[in-house]
Amino acid sequence: MKRPSLSGILHSRALFLFGCVLGGLGIAGVIMAACGYPVGAAYGALWTGATGIQTGPADGLSQIGFVIAGRQVHIHLFLFAQSLARATPLILTGLAVAVGLRAGLFNIGAQGQMVLGALGAAVAGQAHGLSPAIHVPLVLLTGAAVGACWGAIPALLKSRRGVHEVLSTILLNYVAVNLAAYLILHGLKDPERMAAETREIAASAWLGTAPFALQSNLTGGFLIAVVAAVGFAALLPWTAWGYRLRAVGLGPEAAEAAGIKVDRTRIFAMALSGALAGAAGAIEVMSVHHRYVEGVAATYGFDGIAVALLGGLSGIGVLVSALFFGALESGAAFMESQTNVPADLAVIVEGIVILFAGIRLVRRSRAREHIEEGRQATDVSA
Amino acid sequence: MSEPPSNSTNPTAQPIARTKALVRLERVTKRFPGIVANDRIDLTIQAGEFHAVIGENGAGKSTLLNILYGRYRPDEGQLIFEGDDAPCLFAGPADAIRRGIGLVSQHYASIPALTVLENVILGQEPTTAGGLLNVRAARRRIGELASRLGLSGLDLDMRADRLSVAAGQKVEVLKALYRGARLLMLDEPTATLAPSEADALFVLLHELTEAGTTLLFVTHKLREVIAHSDRVTVLRRGRNAGDFLTSRTTEAELLERMVGRSSPSPMASTILTAQAEGKGDLSVDLLSDSLGEEKRSNGSVLRVERVSTRASGGARPLVDVSLEVAGGEVVGVAGVDGSGQRELAEVIVGLRGPDTGAILLDNMSIARKDVRERMGLGVGFIPEDRQRAGLVMDFTIAEDLLLGHERERKCGGGLFLRRRAMQARADTAIKTYDIRGGLLGARQSVQTLSGGNQQKIVVARAIESAPRLLVASQPTRGLDVEASEFVYRSLREVQERGAAILLFSLDLDELLAMSDRVAVLFDGRIVGILPRGQATRDTVGALMTGSVSGSAP
Repeated sequence: MKRPSLSGILHSRALFLFGCVLGGLGIAGVIMAACGYPVGAAYGALWTGATGIQTGPADGLSQIGFVIAGRQVHIHLFLFAQSLARATPLILTGLAVAVGLRAGLFNIGAQGQMVLGALGAAVAGQAHGLSPAIHVPLVLLTGAAVGACWGAIPALLKSRRGVHEVLSTILLNYVAVNLAAYLILHGLKDPERMAAETREIAASAWLGTAPFALQSNLTGGFLIAVVAAVGFAALLPWTAWGYRLRAVGLGPEAAEAAGIKVDRTRIFAMALSGALAGAAGAIEVMSVHHRYVEGVAATYGFDGIAVALLGGLSGIGVLVSALFFGALESGAAFMESQTNVPADLAVIVEGIVILFAGIRLVRRSRAREHIEEGRQATDVSA
Repeated sequence: MSEPPSNSTNPTAQPIARTKALVRLERVTKRFPGIVANDRIDLTIQAGEFHAVIGENGAGKSTLLNILYGRYRPDEGQLIFEGDDAPCLFAGPADAIRRGIGLVSQHYASIPALTVLENVILGQEPTTAGGLLNVRAARRRIGELASRLGLSGLDLDMRADRLSVAAGQKVEVLKALYRGARLLMLDEPTATLAPSEADALFVLLHELTEAGTTLLFVTHKLREVIAHSDRVTVLRRGRNAGDFLTSRTTEAELLERMVGRSSPSPMASTILTAQAEGKGDLSVDLLSDSLGEEKRSNGSVLRVERVSTRASGGARPLVDVSLEVAGGEVVGVAGVDGSGQRELAEVIVGLRGPDTGAILLDNMSIARKDVRERMGLGVGFIPEDRQRAGLVMDFTIAEDLLLGHERERKCGGGLFLRRRAMQARADTAIKTYDIRGGLLGARQSVQTLSGGNQQKIVVARAIESAPRLLVASQPTRGLDVEASEFVYRSLREVQERGAAILLFSLDLDELLAMSDRVAVLFDGRIVGILPRGQATRDTVGALMTGSVSGSAP
């Protein structure tokens, strides 16, 4: 069993990723300077926006103050909460992609699964007269169930008809978005609104906002996402199903020959993947919009791919990389409001970080090929 | 051949004046992570000779060929071509081909959907003045070449995927010569051929040397080296363990150099000696007493009755296959590669469904049961492709040992894995089966293990649950003597426990040595089942080519 030591993790992956982040910020800084923006002020604002940490006197918003080394330091709770809120759907879609990849399937359809999950949740949220203790889980599970059904389709197509999942998941994204639009147009639309949106969900299905940052989008949904990440981290090494999932992903032929049902495992994995993406949609509806709105899934489903890969397909890795992306995007929005540097800078940083991380992935798989080649060429025994 | 260099007196140092060196390798070293595949190899290939390179699996033969063919760059040492003063560094196979080197590799590289003609000219297509493909010119040139080699029977318009293995090999030879190869290298060309096909290949090769082509022939079969080569180089553990004039050496001497110890253990030496002496059946009597009749009266453990499968996805369809294996009996399945061995093994373990026919384990029909159910009933399986079907290469030893057992009570029995039990189980297996890896023990990644130790994991997993029937496909392929012995010992233990063993192997000597009876597959049918007394290289070999049909009991 792999049980890498803490120092091993620190030295390899985490340190490397930290380097990637620094590199990304460095290059983006050069670009900013070349465009004539104030780099120092922009990164100061980005940092504050991402973490909520600000030096100087308090300005009245909800915050905690410290004095460190003689300087006043404040944690701006709203900004901090926004970063976590932004990370919430990314954690779930990142996990969704990771589950699929662990089973050997590249789920590019988290976007569509999230859209339909959100719609399902919005419909289930219309029910009235339920207590929150029932209604909240009901709406969440409805979103997850719709996502699971949508996610299982590509796996079924693959096992029954040999359709490649990359193709089917991409195409099903379009189907999902248009299906949602169609359903809203034909019956689900709120007649009182101009936009194509559903009615508001009942208050009993709302997820409460964090008490320390009532203006933010941070809700209990964040905790659900963290629990999912920790659960996923435990699932892989500790459960028989997680073991089968890894076997199927890493060596489908060997798994099959040992009596593991590869197709069935993959269908379950894709259903779980879809359920996580669907839950992301449900949480966005329950926390932020309180109804299905167009663009509820933003690009979270696609961003989940980057989150999953950067996080090394592990539960904790996904959690950390989603928090990073969330903080970066949320910080960039704050930066734009403070310094006029476009928030799109975050996209540049993300792109560079993924590029760097990708280089390592490629190099590692090259090294593996090399070992493999050597083994085949020699097959030296004992 | 310009001059058979047979008048030298010292076999290890070759002062041959009248032949010219074609290529010289000087202290060539090639390393792979954790392995020195070629270790300071010196080798001289004389123009026009039939030069054999012999060594066990893993001795570094394929690496050597790949260096000569420009696929690998040596880490140290150099390659000096003909009369050149400067060492030559190939940038890639294209360079080597330009220099007149051709390679017929183990897994040859024809494009299935193209015809023989199209495959041969691929990369050097003759064109007309207008830049169009000049098929007529190509046909003429290849036709001439083929008839000079006595291959005029070859249908140039046949699609490559319809060729037999033997014909495919001839096409590869043709391909290399078409590209102007002066040095033709062949990597274990007879491994997948029936004896008579191999003989035909040697006739062709001798014709090539007559015509002045130099041959570098890589094999691990002593008999072929002695019968056909002019000179032989023995590789052992990546080093040159000696150059010999074939006429001045013996099989025993070569064997000793190959194996590298004076007294190889009984099973291996028996098999190798039997192989060397060309008497595969000799070893039969030495290895175990014949119990055939008595065993079969125990009642059959496995009964395959008139099983047929459809052709699907390149699989060879099985036709009306019937077979019985009794408890304590080993039934070997012989056949040229691709005769349906893989399909038969898969049908029995449940990876492939029979379309018609019955499969019975201890008189219970299992044809409708899936792999897991059959394993639960006592079917053990050693798949032929160790690294794909046998192991999850990215797993640790402990994880790979668990494969297929993860639902069992002792491993957790359901939702959660009992990792401590798993660990203990792995530690025991490592000790029992002497799985040698690295410092991490059961947590060592399987990827880093040698082929022999990887196979020990596969074997351990298959026999640990005390199977009633063990289906072993090519269990020693690619293994060295020591690891092969381990496999033989394990099979014998399983047999002594009274289990039935169905052994698939392309190594006829191994099959004859291990089996109580030998069934021969040809073209998806069983063409004969021979009891041990009657199964010899000749009788089985004849059945393998389909030239005679035996009597299936």
